[in-house]
Amino acid sequence: MPPKLTRRNFLARLGSGAITIVGIAGTGLFAALGDVDDAAACVRPPGALPEEDFLATCIRCGRCTDACPNRCITPFTEEAGRELALAPGARQFGTPVIFARRQACMLCNGEPGDGLLCTEACPTGALIPTKKSAVAVQESVDMGTAVVDTTICYSYNGASCGACIRACPFEGTALRAGLWERPIVDPEVCIGCGLCERSCVHYPQAIRIKPSTDRDPTTRGRS
Amino acid sequence: MKIGIRKLQILRRTVQISVLVGLFMVPIIARYHNYAASNEIDRVVEKWDGTAAGAMISTLDTAIRLLPGAEHERAGIMQRDTDAAIAYAQQIRGSVWSADIGPLSLTDPLAVAESSLASKKFPWVLAVGLFIPLLATLLLGRVFCSWICPAGLMFEMNDKLRGVLRFLELPPRNLRMERSTKYGLLAAGLLLTTVLAVPVLGYIYPPAVLSREIHDLVFATFDRAEHGRFGFWVGGMSWMTFVFMTIIAIELFVSRRWWCRYVCPGGGLYSLLGTFRPLRVKLKHEKCTECVLCVAACPMGLNPMKNEMGMECDSCGVCISSCNDDALGYAIAGPSKPIAQTSPEAGP
Repeated sequence: MPPKLTRRNFLARLGSGAITIVGIAGTGLFAALGDVDDAAACVRPPGALPEEDFLATCIRCGRCTDACPNRCITPFTEEAGRELALAPGARQFGTPVIFARRQACMLCNGEPGDGLLCTEACPTGALIPTKKSAVAVQESVDMGTAVVDTTICYSYNGASCGACIRACPFEGTALRAGLWERPIVDPEVCIGCGLCERSCVHYPQAIRIKPSTDRDPTTRGRS
Repeated sequence: MKIGIRKLQILRRTVQISVLVGLFMVPIIARYHNYAASNEIDRVVEKWDGTAAGAMISTLDTAIRLLPGAEHERAGIMQRDTDAAIAYAQQIRGSVWSADIGPLSLTDPLAVAESSLASKKFPWVLAVGLFIPLLATLLLGRVFCSWICPAGLMFEMNDKLRGVLRFLELPPRNLRMERSTKYGLLAAGLLLTTVLAVPVLGYIYPPAVLSREIHDLVFATFDRAEHGRFGFWVGGMSWMTFVFMTIIAIELFVSRRWWCRYVCPGGGLYSLLGTFRPLRVKLKHEKCTECVLCVAACPMGLNPMKNEMGMECDSCGVCISSCNDDALGYAIAGPSKPIAQTSPEAGP
């Protein structure tokens, strides 16, 4: 039987309720505000909104993670980023991220359907549904840009390699071979899938993805 | 009638346990899809034989091969049909926070509210995922809490532990709080979400926390196995587990079903949505013998004898199965008016 509602009782209930709300909401505030600006630059799945919109829209449900046929999308946790010395910012915790060095996006090559599976799985529109044809991908996917470190790349240092060029889905345009298989990146065409970084035989990788900072699949404008 | 209600309780528990098992299965299925897509299933099953990761993959593989069309005969041996296996594996993904089951897309109304408030947009995909959960809540009330929520199942088991404590003559305290705390927390959380533009409630809402942590745990186990390190790895879990364990401890020692009764913001949202639900638990005054069994049984701490089942009631039916006089039952009815006195007019 609930006790009779006296004034003291009422105040105690009101107090405990208020303390709970302040405590829990304060924890959320602390966790979210902890370091608002410590967001790590990371490669997002294809079709992702600009980073600020993405962090607001994504509910961290893991459907894109489960949908990815190449297990390249992982929830951004300390454990997942440890290998690459990347820690999630307070607001990035649990958001989908691609660590191209570990596993890169193969743009759902060989999978049934004509769309990118992660973008079709997203329940919030944080990933804009995108077709996987070369034209559509060129139009709206911008995960980053490959950057070659010519000081360590084998092909720039006396040995022909060309592994990254063979891996590129837009071979000949995004990444083409120069003299002695030297990789030459065209930032206008490169979408940042990371297959070149994944395939690089040098360690540390001589070709890496620089995450896009100004992607916007809604306007279809690519940098 | 009586037997039907008992069966309903068994069905409810079965659904709850299936959801919890499913939470572990979905990330395993996702990894199965990955390994199948790269034709690695046979290799990992062989290589990881005798480890946690290997056991998970080989059990799932055996199960999927039992499904129709998932095997075909080649050279006299039944072999996995990889395409069919992948098609089966793709049928289910996500978690109780947002899931994709076959053609259905289901998103928690709290997730929808948070996403649209944080981004100040309401895209069409959100409405698609919201449709079935919203309809179910409007018609049936807080049934997510009593039938689906995996955290709710754990809290119910935790509640049984309180009985063990009582048996050991260490009676746990039962602090009562203001029930409307949950609406306060819901409002505060949604306000924070809007201001900070980050869905913050998802980080403390137990079903979402459990979903995410189980995903991370299973994925971390597989990631380690790929590097030749075996065994479950709790490093995949985060501070959100600590939040969940705190709730468990409070419910065990301080206040019975503290989270669901007083605090849960998601439960609060479901309560609000289910205020005018047609399906309710109703009391038949003429049959009630005032034995108070239902009052003791109600997990939400309500008083079915006073017909008190308003928006707080999650329609779990525990009170119905506890009643020996068939005085309680589901009924299609409007909001009930709590009555002051419990005794009906004296019958013959």
